[in-house]
Amino acid sequence: MAQGSLIGQSLPRVEDDRLLDGAGCYIDDVALPGMMHMAILRSSDAHGRITALDCSAARLVPGVIDVFTAEDWPQDMPVIPMRLIPLESSVPFLQRPLAQGKVRYVGEPVAVVVARDRRTAEDALEFLELEIEALPPVVTRDQALAATGDALMVPEVGTNISAQYQIGRGDIEDAFARADVTLKKTFQSHRHTAVPLETRGTIAVFDIAAGKLTIHGASKVTFFNRAELAKAFNLRNDQVDLITSDIGGGFGVRGELYPEYYLAAEASRRTGRPVKWIEDRREHFAATNHSRDVDCELEIAALKDGTILGMRGQVRADMGAYIRTNGNVVPAKAGQFLPGPYRVPAFACEVLALVTNKTPVGTYRGPGRIEANFFRERMLDCLADELGMDPAALRMKNLLGAAEMPFDTGDLLPNAQKVVFDSGDYPATFRKLLDECDWDAPAQVHSDGRLHAMGLACFNESSGGGLYENARISVAASGQITVSTGSSSMGQGVETAIRQICADALSMAPERITVALSSTTLLSDGVGSFHSRSTVMAGSAVGQAAAELLDQARGEAGRRLNAAPAELDYSDGVFRVMGQSDRSIRLSDLSAMLSDQGGLDVESRYEQAPLGFSFGAHAAHVAIDPGTGDIEVLDYWVVEDVGRVLNPALVEGQTIGGVVQGLGDALYGELVYDDMGQLLTASFADYLLPTSTEVPDIRAVATGDYPSPHNPYGFKGAGEGGIVAVAAAVGNAIARAIGPAGDAICQTPFHPEKILTLLHAAKKGKQ
Amino acid sequence: MIQFMLNGQEVCIENAGPTVTLLDWLRETQHMTGTKEGCNEGDCGACTVTVSTLDDSGVTHQAQNACILFLPQLAGKAVRTVEGLTSPTGELHPVQQAMVAEHGSQCGFCTPGFVMSMYTAHRTGRVDHDDVLAGNLCRCTGYAPIIRAAQVAATHPTPPWELDERTALQGLTTDEMGGDGFHLPTTTAELAELYAANPDATIVAGATDVGLWVTKQFREIGPLIFTHRVADLATITRVEGGLRIGAGVTLSRLRGAVADRHPDFAELIRRYGSVQVRNAATIGGNIANGSPIGDGSPALIALGATLTLRSASGTRDMPLEDFFIEYGKQDRQDGEFVESILIPDQIDTLACYKLSKRFDQDISAVCGCFAVQIQDGIVTSARIAFGGMAGTPKRATAVEASLIGHPFTQDAVRVAQDALSQDFQPLSDMRASADYRMQSARNMIRRYWLEQVEKVPTRLVGRQAEEGAI
Repeated sequence: MAQGSLIGQSLPRVEDDRLLDGAGCYIDDVALPGMMHMAILRSSDAHGRITALDCSAARLVPGVIDVFTAEDWPQDMPVIPMRLIPLESSVPFLQRPLAQGKVRYVGEPVAVVVARDRRTAEDALEFLELEIEALPPVVTRDQALAATGDALMVPEVGTNISAQYQIGRGDIEDAFARADVTLKKTFQSHRHTAVPLETRGTIAVFDIAAGKLTIHGASKVTFFNRAELAKAFNLRNDQVDLITSDIGGGFGVRGELYPEYYLAAEASRRTGRPVKWIEDRREHFAATNHSRDVDCELEIAALKDGTILGMRGQVRADMGAYIRTNGNVVPAKAGQFLPGPYRVPAFACEVLALVTNKTPVGTYRGPGRIEANFFRERMLDCLADELGMDPAALRMKNLLGAAEMPFDTGDLLPNAQKVVFDSGDYPATFRKLLDECDWDAPAQVHSDGRLHAMGLACFNESSGGGLYENARISVAASGQITVSTGSSSMGQGVETAIRQICADALSMAPERITVALSSTTLLSDGVGSFHSRSTVMAGSAVGQAAAELLDQARGEAGRRLNAAPAELDYSDGVFRVMGQSDRSIRLSDLSAMLSDQGGLDVESRYEQAPLGFSFGAHAAHVAIDPGTGDIEVLDYWVVEDVGRVLNPALVEGQTIGGVVQGLGDALYGELVYDDMGQLLTASFADYLLPTSTEVPDIRAVATGDYPSPHNPYGFKGAGEGGIVAVAAAVGNAIARAIGPAGDAICQTPFHPEKILTLLHAAKKGKQ
Repeated sequence: MIQFMLNGQEVCIENAGPTVTLLDWLRETQHMTGTKEGCNEGDCGACTVTVSTLDDSGVTHQAQNACILFLPQLAGKAVRTVEGLTSPTGELHPVQQAMVAEHGSQCGFCTPGFVMSMYTAHRTGRVDHDDVLAGNLCRCTGYAPIIRAAQVAATHPTPPWELDERTALQGLTTDEMGGDGFHLPTTTAELAELYAANPDATIVAGATDVGLWVTKQFREIGPLIFTHRVADLATITRVEGGLRIGAGVTLSRLRGAVADRHPDFAELIRRYGSVQVRNAATIGGNIANGSPIGDGSPALIALGATLTLRSASGTRDMPLEDFFIEYGKQDRQDGEFVESILIPDQIDTLACYKLSKRFDQDISAVCGCFAVQIQDGIVTSARIAFGGMAGTPKRATAVEASLIGHPFTQDAVRVAQDALSQDFQPLSDMRASADYRMQSARNMIRRYWLEQVEKVPTRLVGRQAEEGAI
């Protein structure tokens, strides 16, 4: 089997063997001897001072072995740090594991009960007597900006603005001065979240005698979390292990360093018992990161022929009550991606992050991109209307071409990190979408009484990143190969992808390779799974580790076969002296011979090269019922250049899954708060997810036309292209379907009531 | 004691807590962790199992949510979980094989539930995959690969290692079932006696609502009287002038029973609960709870249904609409329970319009049900009821009065629309504003007229095509 022959094959998923018959092992499936269960008292007020917290009655409940609050923490409670895009101004708004003195959102942890089982722990919460003196709740961006006195999240700071900065490129004043047309609109992307089907959970085991803390149920960024937990509990990194299990969906929200990891570890430290915490679904809606919730005032300047001269605006993100580990990713990416895959010679944007009395915001699949793509792509359709142009032609005119690559985007991030689009021919890929969806065909006439239209949206999307990734490959004497990476699998098929790359690089059958990902016991260091990086970064690291391993093995094989390394052929795990098939040695035998040095066992770090950018476009066909405003998405198309394609079936799975997730977000899922900061949508009856009957016919085309020059395989990420332009394409389709009334389609989600109201208003306006 | 079959093995539980759910028992007592908890309120389907029941017509197999299924509800039944599908040598069931081939699994957390829904459908020959799978949520795959897998699996026969539960079910002891804190009556008379003796008891039929009192509200609800073994409460009988539906009839069976006479009612039932919920929930429970947003009652009121309440001292009949007094309050005395409902025979003019954001399994913003009879061009009777417009399911008496005795014309529609505000002052909430509720209720009157009189098809074509299968 030649190297490279497995790249591009739809190999079956290795994970399925255990997942299909119930043998998967998720965190709630793990039980340890002597394990206790933890339940968390969470604030039911959005904003207030804790005036009393009496735990004495709860301590007496049979089966309860411990109760603790912020006051019981042995030293200063640790501050949960920012991992990504940290800004100095955000630091005062970082969260601690338990509320101290004040509560700032419904769902904030206030006290912990540890008991012999989950039911007892949950029931004992009712015996905790918490008194809160209400403070004015801040639930909107405008309230956050106007807040003074008691409405300030941290009064000493004097403002609820947690970050504020400018980005841009080119001469924006000149662009607007030269424009034939300018348009200004305000857009909003609503608060929603990922809702993985498995809620969060962990088991902490603090073995004080051995000086060891083990956290089970980890994922995403195990090594960062290890380092922080070690600091918080005065341990060295090697005294803390994070162990991953099967993960029921991540999508960005899972595996961040949440308060509950600290609480479970502290509960175990105090009780000397393993402590399990499994999040209830209603708890999940208030405790796990929310996302999006960004608005944007946007202005565009263009020539009559559709040439975009510039864009300027302001992005305002509602961050919730605290800045969590994702730091300023959501507002920063919403700003950075506003100009998108277009030329836009001049661009200026102010980015604002605001704290409010709501659940903190973090990253969810396509953070900032969903928002930016929706704002910009809706604006482009409005501009096309204004100019009387076809929306496709307007986009085609402004998309970056192959000759313009690499394209320096300018200073669009607060930390002065340069971002350059690496490769691609955006108009050519867009053309493929237009052909797929038959955009240029004459409009079909539909006789079902509904209003039909198609909508378009383009995007580009960064992937890889995260500085580096580690991979380790070891060869057992039995011939079994084990490969590990710092990236974890949260359900995307990363095990399959890693095995496929490893098998290819070692030119052997995938069945001989075992994959074990991201536990800190498996390798010395690593980064994680986010930003569509696992295949790009961990995959490249595996390729690099395999090359190093074969290099080392080749030298050893040469010595043992009395041949120069260059005289050896290698395939299927065997080195042979060229032309002499009887002189050969297997990798497994070599590893056994090297057992005193630990066998063949290589850990390699792959350093980040510049990011790879995929480009893609979506098209949606919607039908609107004019009597009810009911929206149905009938057909959907995605064409995306993802660089070289590793496993087409996995890529298609990611894309279609992303589209449906995006449709649910655009049409149904919404985290609604009332004026008092109470969350109204905390169950599947109120927070709607799409079901199998809402799925349109989706065609997903992944092209491998423009491999990234920045990694050895030419991969670009494929995890987010399915979701990032759904709100934009569906919004544009709805706007086109309802005619002039569609100009007001500026906010997600798209609900029948809003559509009907717009249709009525337009009708009244005409009369 | 409770006896049932689990994956072909007889299980005998001596002291089952009456509110221990099958899901908790499987995971915590049996350490069978293949069945997953995704929401613990019957919405996500990750805990789907197959429940097989033996009755006079043979063995039926149904998908149900284990998270809101109490152990006593399993008495005398057979349960299959995801651990019980492979052959003795570990060969995957055809539905599992198809899931592998079509990449129907990603994170795998929802997979056991999907597999069990697919297995149940495969075993019973159902091929309306959209509906079969609509009670299972998946966040990774976008469903398309799972639906493909269901289609592929449908072409494969039942595997040779499939068990026939009939003999095992016949062998289960059913005489001495019962236990501390709960009762398992077998006749309506026994139920009435028990309820008279225990007026504080909670009657549990399908537990699709009561289950949440336990799993989400942590309420103490004992003692419990389970009705699923009351055979004469679960009958559908042709009587003089109508169809009598026992309170214990599940929504699945009700849907089948009304499919021919009132197809719109059948379709409404399909949309308001998932397969798993319809298999557990009963029409009696649905009515007795008196939810203002339950979709069953408006349709039954429009059909002129009569409710029969039963107690130890006898029965009491009333028009269904009179049962609902105000929000959270029904006309039910201590010791009284819903025994049956009578749907009178009539020419089918019923149309049900359910308005919700999501098409399936979403609580209605407004549910409007219309049955208007016209003779010689004049409206002779009109029964119109709405859900979501008031604190209870409620008849639109002013609208009805405005129509009766007049030709059903466009002008009559306008008068009827204006009469709506005499019947209803709807509330604004997260689901819909008062204006939208009123506006869409008005539009429903017009839509009914268009369909019934003008014969203009107004249903959504794309979705209608999918709705063919019952």
